[in-house]
Amino acid sequence: MERGRDSARGQKGRTGGDLTKHIYMHPELCTGCRQCSLACSLKKFGENNPKKAAITVIRDEFRRYEVPLVCMQCDDPLCVKMCPQNAVTKVDGRIIRDKEKCIGCRFCAVICPYSAITVLGKELVQCDLCNGDPMCVKFCATKAIEYLEDTEELLRRRRDFVEKMLFSSHYLVASG
Amino acid sequence: MHKRKLGIVDLTKEKVTVQEVPDSLRRKYLGGRGLNMHYLLKMLHKGVDPLSPDNVLIFGTGFLTGTSAPSSSRFSVSAKSPESMILGDANCGGFFGPELRYAGFDRLILLGRAKKPSYLLVNDGSIQIRDAKDHWGLDTNDAQKSIRQEVGDCEMVVCGVAGEKMVRFANVRTGVKNAAGRGGMGAVMGSKNVKAVVASGTLGIQIANPEKMLDYVLELKEYLMSSKITPILGTMGTPLLYEVSNALGAIRTKNSQLNQWSDSLDAENVHKFVEKMVACADCFVHCRHRNTLGGEGPEYTALGLLGSNLGIENTANVIELSNVCNDLGLDISSAGTILAWAFELYEKGIIGDKMTGEALRFGDFELANRLLHMISRRQGFGNDLAESTQAAKLFGEESKDYLIAVKNLPQSDPHDVRYIKAFALGIATSSRGADHLRSRPTLEIFLKLPLETKEKIYGKGVVTDPSSYVGKEKAVYFSDNIFATIDCLGLCKFICHGFNSPHFLKYEHFSGLIKAAAGWDMSEAELQEIGKRVIDTERLINIREGVTRKDDTLPKRYFDDPMPLGLAKGHHIDRKEFDGMLSRYYELRGWNEDGTVPEARKAELEAI
Repeated sequence: MERGRDSARGQKGRTGGDLTKHIYMHPELCTGCRQCSLACSLKKFGENNPKKAAITVIRDEFRRYEVPLVCMQCDDPLCVKMCPQNAVTKVDGRIIRDKEKCIGCRFCAVICPYSAITVLGKELVQCDLCNGDPMCVKFCATKAIEYLEDTEELLRRRRDFVEKMLFSSHYLVASG
Repeated sequence: MHKRKLGIVDLTKEKVTVQEVPDSLRRKYLGGRGLNMHYLLKMLHKGVDPLSPDNVLIFGTGFLTGTSAPSSSRFSVSAKSPESMILGDANCGGFFGPELRYAGFDRLILLGRAKKPSYLLVNDGSIQIRDAKDHWGLDTNDAQKSIRQEVGDCEMVVCGVAGEKMVRFANVRTGVKNAAGRGGMGAVMGSKNVKAVVASGTLGIQIANPEKMLDYVLELKEYLMSSKITPILGTMGTPLLYEVSNALGAIRTKNSQLNQWSDSLDAENVHKFVEKMVACADCFVHCRHRNTLGGEGPEYTALGLLGSNLGIENTANVIELSNVCNDLGLDISSAGTILAWAFELYEKGIIGDKMTGEALRFGDFELANRLLHMISRRQGFGNDLAESTQAAKLFGEESKDYLIAVKNLPQSDPHDVRYIKAFALGIATSSRGADHLRSRPTLEIFLKLPLETKEKIYGKGVVTDPSSYVGKEKAVYFSDNIFATIDCLGLCKFICHGFNSPHFLKYEHFSGLIKAAAGWDMSEAELQEIGKRVIDTERLINIREGVTRKDDTLPKRYFDDPMPLGLAKGHHIDRKEFDGMLSRYYELRGWNEDGTVPEARKAELEAI
């Protein structure tokens, strides 16, 4: 975190290094167990609390869906660009939040296109990829979340995923 | 703090008391089923009417519920059972248990009766009694949706209309399928005018050694996932057991008149109806089927009791009945047993049209479906069936000869226990009546398991032949104890050593998880003692309600009628052999020959 604050000073948007690995989510494989959230809160806060984790499983048994939601590490992150305190920066391709600078305005959480930033009381929790070794991924029993290189194969899978989202009602139950 | 609080809610006085639970007590029982039993022993008076305000209803989470520990979703619901009139205790997964802990409570004890339909809202350390008028009269799925509309994000347990009407096998439900199924705990909720207990919380469970917990759970995850059985449980779930029982000729069929049924209910056929496999909280195994007919399930229990036992072959019909039972909040085990009992009684002319209002027959999906709805509303003949085993008073003395129940609890296991003698002893001695989740040594079903493996788990003297009585008390004793301990921890039996696998989690693993989560040193021996303590406490509660050695028995049919079909053909339970096995079981437990608990042990447990 210290290193992040120094090296990230003044950095905005795309300038945060060239991350080649990202977390990939496969809602069709997610069983809704929340082991990912429990691992995250345990690593970051020393407690088991699915509501205080950077990764959240949004689930509804009656409407029949489970979708893990986590920071997508945008190339041009609104949370970095819009933070009035420069508390959110991108370091080595990973989004890092400086707790000292953060004034808790929650603007980042409001503008995040994925609503992927967790707000619990005064605590804002955002994925920092555990320094390149995300704990949540290790706890997933079905590979519903993976930490993978951005290869062409993955780009194809992304496209498949997006097209499924857009053109089938399987994932988006909200309108139903 | 790893520990949460105890909430005591006096519904009559509308008074909520919040207490700390001393660690000295938790060391004796850990939590879950164990602490529930402690409080029942202390607070429940002898001989009370289970549907009166005098009953004590407890919702208790396990020691590890809601933590990273694998499959740690579980909680226990306990009270005096209106179905069996002895100990009632049901265990349940889903998401409610963890949420209750995040809301600040390990356990809630409900006393008295609310003046009007109410629900409890538990949120970050507070408990409110709220008006449930908008949710009363709804079945379990609608009730949950309706309460979520009022409260927002939350997890809850509810009873259906069946609970409100005090159907004696109305269960406690959470989510689409999870149920604290056995013993009519939903009827106890209804009798107390409590529609739901709702939890919503943000209080994390502090872990004593987070790094150790992360490492250890990852290690256990690898261990569990590397087993051959885990992927099968995660794709097929419990339905795989149907085929295993059926192949043996030990699937309860048409009220145990037969013992083999159609392969249309094999896991492979059930799997065609699976949309996605989902999990309870904190579980790597994910054994729950989200089915294409709008619900979740079926479990093996439903395939047997709503399928073969009712003489129904059509896979979709059986799944449909399972969905219906879940939505109505009826215990599938009791429902399937009671319907089949009535069907046979009608066939034999022991009950007639005057009582039933229509012809009863096996294999009629529409009839079964209609009767389930009538039971939940206590309409017509459904009102008689809603009495469960106590309907024997209406059906006459002869009807008891055809009732597949022990201690007035219908048998849950679809497995006909006449062949596997350890299963027979298990359901005969189970503290809540005929039930397999107290002590079923499932490994007995695997005919090719080497003797060394069995001896390693159960001890010397167990023979491999499942139809033998020799040493089988040891298999039941081992399973009874470890299942009780796992019920105190809030872990699922699916990952328990000796249940589905000769591997999986043993006492040493429980010890490791407790150390990482709470920082407590608990030896394997101490953990074994906890299981034994729970069983003895339950025995004391049951003895107080009048249970004696003569109640540790089996349905008459299992003694007198040899199995007609398959590999198991000709097998039945020999009374003398059974009696010997029972005595040996008592001896292992340190109980007296008449099934009572020695005075010194009684005094010791009552002093806790």
